[in-house]
Amino acid sequence: MKKPFKYTGLPKLKNSSLIVGWNKDTGNLAPAVLEFLNRILGCQVFCELELEDFFSFGGVAVEHNVVHFPECIFFYNEKKNLVIFKSDQPHFQHYKFLNTILDIAERFCHVHELYTISGFASSFVHTSPRRIFSVFNLPEFQVELRGYGLEDMTWEGPPAISSYLLWLARKRGLPGVSLWSELPFYLGAHEDPQCVKSSLSFFDSRFNLNLDLTGFDNMIQEQDKKIALLRQEKAEIDQYLKLLESGISLDEEEQLKLAREIYSLLKK
Amino acid sequence: MGIKLHKHPRLKSPIMIVGWPGIGNIGLIAVDTLRELAKAEELGEIESYEFFLPSKVVIKSGILEELEFPTNKFYFRRIEGKDLIFFIGEEQPRKQPTSDYAEGEEAYRMAHLVLDVAEKFGCQRVYTSGAAVSLMHHTMRSRVWAVPNTERLIKEIKQYSNTIVMSEIEGRGGQGHITGLNGLLLGVAKKRGIDGICLMGEIPIYLQGLPIIYPKASKSVLDVFSDILGIDIDLSQFEKTAQKAEKNIEKFYSQIPSEMRSQLEKLKEIYHLEPTEIKPMTEKNRKKLWEEISDFLKKEGKGDEEAI
Repeated sequence: MKKPFKYTGLPKLKNSSLIVGWNKDTGNLAPAVLEFLNRILGCQVFCELELEDFFSFGGVAVEHNVVHFPECIFFYNEKKNLVIFKSDQPHFQHYKFLNTILDIAERFCHVHELYTISGFASSFVHTSPRRIFSVFNLPEFQVELRGYGLEDMTWEGPPAISSYLLWLARKRGLPGVSLWSELPFYLGAHEDPQCVKSSLSFFDSRFNLNLDLTGFDNMIQEQDKKIALLRQEKAEIDQYLKLLESGISLDEEEQLKLAREIYSLLKK
Repeated sequence: MGIKLHKHPRLKSPIMIVGWPGIGNIGLIAVDTLRELAKAEELGEIESYEFFLPSKVVIKSGILEELEFPTNKFYFRRIEGKDLIFFIGEEQPRKQPTSDYAEGEEAYRMAHLVLDVAEKFGCQRVYTSGAAVSLMHHTMRSRVWAVPNTERLIKEIKQYSNTIVMSEIEGRGGQGHITGLNGLLLGVAKKRGIDGICLMGEIPIYLQGLPIIYPKASKSVLDVFSDILGIDIDLSQFEKTAQKAEKNIEKFYSQIPSEMRSQLEKLKEIYHLEPTEIKPMTEKNRKKLWEEISDFLKKEGKGDEEAI
């Protein structure tokens, strides 16, 4: 039977860590974090999943004026003992897809812990710190990661693909955590540099990566400045943000107005 | 991974009755009603995580407690000296979330797993149940279209009340197609030497794409099961649900533009004709009516002409 993946090399890794992120994430968080890590750490591609097994090809999607084609790529860095999987979410055969990720991670990379990252939009103001919520598949791993400033998530409802992956990892006895970085709902259509920075800070301290994240500070300042100017120009926007600063939620119409204004502002 | 049996009862040549969701949930409602009335006990299940996407996650204080998947459960019960095994699937395994019916490798494997249990307990016969999309009017009684997986069973089927085989349906010439697992299971059963019959309750063509249940057809299927099993089925509770559903259907029907509704009224004329009867509607007119209905359903965005 044909393997659902092809590899170009076998990394020499022991007890490595796997970080998984999905394209088209809220606030583009996962792609931004993984692309930064790949670039700064000089990660190499070693394996790709076979697309035809998991995606329907009834044409291609167009995103931001450009054709988007699915990707499911494994990267590695031997020095930091890291494996990164950056991928589109499959259209079908989810069970096979997620098990293939875990098979490759365990067999070829001797992965001993799993991290997934995602962004999620929340009703709070951009001047507040970004929190990272966590979901562990084993209590022991939760204990191990105490002290990294992660918040415990509580939630019942439709599951994300990361929860499915985490659940399958537990069936194999592989410890895993899903990290959910909170970003203000009105920045969900953009990349929020503060949210990206907070996720990278976690990985930096967890894996001793010595990342230089000062470049994000300029981006954060620039974003804050733009929004501050908008507040001066538009009293309505200032009022919405003041309400959020006081911990008061906006109604649906107000949320939409604020999101539209910020979207127009930041896309310039 | 696969089958998990919670009990191991000794059953004597049981009959297996299978229900999956489909158009109007006709088969599923019929089989599940029978299972409930029989007070069948849980026998086991097919582990779902390989076939379905999870439907719910429960996370408490940062720990992934549970991931819930659609269930696929077996039940058993002896009624009037007959051992019955029920299988109720909450969902059909689909290749793509947008597909309406089971297809491909996963559906094929699911069919085999269901039949593995049937064989383990010595089942000689399996029944599946679904919907037959028909050029009928909703005020008429739904008939049951029955399709066996061996010619030998046709004679038996013809003795069931209110039941017809494909060759008795106008314009079909004994041909047809059973979508999803209701059909696939019978094919796989045939390959494994197990007799099988699919019982399909009729649903009017103009209701097939609506997110409604159609208990009238489920009742017709239940009546046939009553015949087959030689038991009386108390449907007094079921009737209440059916009446409520009827009201909703009438409400929908009254909202159809009057011109279209007068076209649909003609369905009363072409229903229940024996193939040898003189037809009040010519084949040409029948085709024209079908085209008009299709156009209407397309405009309303509620139809699926592929399903017939």
